Amino acid sequence: MTQLLVGLFMIIFLALPPVAKIMESVMIIHMHMQMPMLIIAGFLIAKFFQERYPGFFEKWNRNGLPGIMLFIIIVSFWTLPRTMDEALNEAGMEIFKFISLPLLAGIPLRDSWKRLGKIGRNVVIILFTILFFVMGWLYVDAPVQLCNNYLVIDQIILGWGFLTTAICFVIYLGYILFVDPSKYE
Amino acid sequence: METAINQTFNTKVNNLLGVNKEDAKISKTYLFVSFVILLIGGFLGLAQGLNRAGLLELPSWLNYYQILTMHGVFMLLAFTTFFTFGYLYAGLSHELGGLLPKVRKIVWTAFAAKIIGAVLVVIPILMNEASVMYTFYPPLKAHPMFYIGLVFFAVGMWLCNIGGFIQVANWRKNNKGKHVPIFSYFATGINILMFFALIPVAIEVLTLIPWSIGWTKTVNVMVSRTLFWAFGHTLVNIWYLTATSAWYVIAPKLIGGKRWSDTLTRVVIIALVIMNITGGFHHQIIDPGISLPVKMMHVFMSLAIGFPSLMTAFAMFAVFEKTARKQGGKGLIGWYKKMPWGDVRFLALFISMASFIPAGAGGIAQTTNQLDTVVHNTMWIVGHFHLTLGVTVALAFFGISYWLVPYISGRVLTPKINKLGVIQTWIWTIGMIFMSGSMHTVGLFGSPRRTSYTTYGDHATALSWDPYMMALAIGGTLLIIGVILQVYAVINMMFFAPKGETEFPIADVEENASPTPYWTERWGIWIIVMLIVVAMAYVIPLSEFILNGPPGSPGFKTW
Ligand code: HEM
Ligand SMILES: [Cu+2]
Repeated sequence: MTQLLVGLFMIIFLALPPVAKIMESVMIIHMHMQMPMLIIAGFLIAKFFQERYPGFFEKWNRNGLPGIMLFIIIVSFWTLPRTMDEALNEAGMEIFKFISLPLLAGIPLRDSWKRLGKIGRNVVIILFTILFFVMGWLYVDAPVQLCNNYLVIDQIILGWGFLTTAICFVIYLGYILFVDPSKYE
Repeated sequence: METAINQTFNTKVNNLLGVNKEDAKISKTYLFVSFVILLIGGFLGLAQGLNRAGLLELPSWLNYYQILTMHGVFMLLAFTTFFTFGYLYAGLSHELGGLLPKVRKIVWTAFAAKIIGAVLVVIPILMNEASVMYTFYPPLKAHPMFYIGLVFFAVGMWLCNIGGFIQVANWRKNNKGKHVPIFSYFATGINILMFFALIPVAIEVLTLIPWSIGWTKTVNVMVSRTLFWAFGHTLVNIWYLTATSAWYVIAPKLIGGKRWSDTLTRVVIIALVIMNITGGFHHQIIDPGISLPVKMMHVFMSLAIGFPSLMTAFAMFAVFEKTARKQGGKGLIGWYKKMPWGDVRFLALFISMASFIPAGAGGIAQTTNQLDTVVHNTMWIVGHFHLTLGVTVALAFFGISYWLVPYISGRVLTPKINKLGVIQTWIWTIGMIFMSGSMHTVGLFGSPRRTSYTTYGDHATALSWDPYMMALAIGGTLLIIGVILQVYAVINMMFFAPKGETEFPIADVEENASPTPYWTERWGIWIIVMLIVVAMAYVIPLSEFILNGPPGSPGFKTW
């Protein structure tokens, strides 16, 4: 119950016009802070739905694949320059962002993560590492403005944000590859 | 297998002799150097205080800015580093059954690197070739030897971190599935934070060396400042975390109580490690080149560090009250009478904690843009960090010394030295109230920091600062008495006090405490979370400074 409340509070706080405005005024904060926070909010809310409708998740997301597919689609959708632009210009799209990221990305992520198993999880992380390197390269290297609302410099910064995050993922993958927990635990 | 046998053997030795002789030598050497540096640094501080009050004219061969640079480097970097590792390695040895021979070698190598580094740093300062202050960012340019000395010192710190990691990893291999004991857990957090905080400053210094030699003509000042503060801020918080370890682990034992929740203690450490480095930006609130929304974001990131700090305050007072009530303390505040105020080991730790209340409040004020514009670069700031470092950190270290030094020396704390310690603690406290109080006040009236005595052509405003500067000098005089007493006590406990056994006072958890979850041991994950937070925080300003950077600055020697 507390997780549900915290999640809802986060969504409401992020949606407050001044908060949303200041976060969306910087491209990388828009994509790498506001959006992940919305996903985290959904992640917290998920528990409530899992307890309320266990049958639904059991039926549709038994092995975690459908959920993680939905997560990947929604997140990939929001990494496109075009969708960010639209969220800034059209109220409908903005509302969709605040609904889709918690409900269609955060909730399925939590439900799928446990079901995926070790290999599945690592595949997802590797997938996102590659995606982040590609997006980073795209944003850093693009010679033209990709968003109407953000400058080229904002774009390059976002690109570096993708690249540094991807590097962190690589460090993580190296860590699980080279450090054998059974030696310690 | 060999290490396992070693381990039990060491534990036995430990139980018999109280402390491993070879490990004690390491801690003793580190602590001895630390307090010698405190003594020198104290006199340098006094010279500054007297100069600013107009009481002491400094000779031309040792001017104000040389002294200021040395005081800052000695106090903030050297005194603290040597003390911290002397303390941490004594605890690691005690808790984990003696240091591994390999680790001992690493720590001695680290010691050599730090001493070489310190000498290389001090020589150019004495030659008047490096009055760049302990912050050493460009465009002020020092002699290359100064920066090379810093590299040596940093390598020494890194080696100490690595030694700690090896020691803890080895223990975990031999104690599968167990939680790392709490003191060593603190040490691990401190080592991780220091290890990563040193990376940005190493990058900075490595760009400054070719610039200082003349191979490169210019340097990007904003990038340098940012890299410096990622380190400088974190370093101060590392000393704070070291002090905190004594509050959580040692203080309850000294008053005969139990530790506060083990889980929450570990969570506080994890939180402080993850969120700390990004706090560096609150030292750049007035810097140009950082846009307003980004500064705004960093206000929140800085204040986020306040949360675990507040948890600490809550935890400590809860422990004190609980223990005192168990011992018969009564009333809303009457329980405080049950605390051992005559015991220097407790008194110093308590004042150290209590001083963090005004120190933290001042810090929160400075995080606010509008308030910071009033106090930025004034004496207020100097007052602030003499509260945080000079009281919260220094008094915690002093308090620790009254059992740690006898422990590693195989001696005991005599009632006489205890009494001396209590007097020392009060002198220090009163001295700091005078000095820090007047610094805060005169700072509000606009007196600048880092400025040798001047009346600005007898300007009325500058003259109005003089009474406060006098109070500052009085405080400084009390403090130097405190320093002398403290160093005397340390030397006495190290070499002259009666032989005997002293305990390493680590408190136990409460009996009915719930077990600590194992995820607190997964440092690999927490480090990656920390790296992501750091990447997020630094990518905006650093990209802007580099991509939209000005031509760069040549070096300046303004002195
Ligand atoms: C005998 C005790 C001490 C005295 C009398 C003293 C006095 C002073 C004075 C007067 C200044 C600065 C002035 C200025 O900005 O012009 C100063 C700066 C400073 N002090 Fe102390 N201090 C003492 C102890 C300490 C301790 C224990 C620490 C830290 C552990 C410390 C850390 C610093 C630092 C980091 C600076 C800043 C240097 C700079 O601005 O570059 N001091 N001190
Ligand atoms: Cu700071």
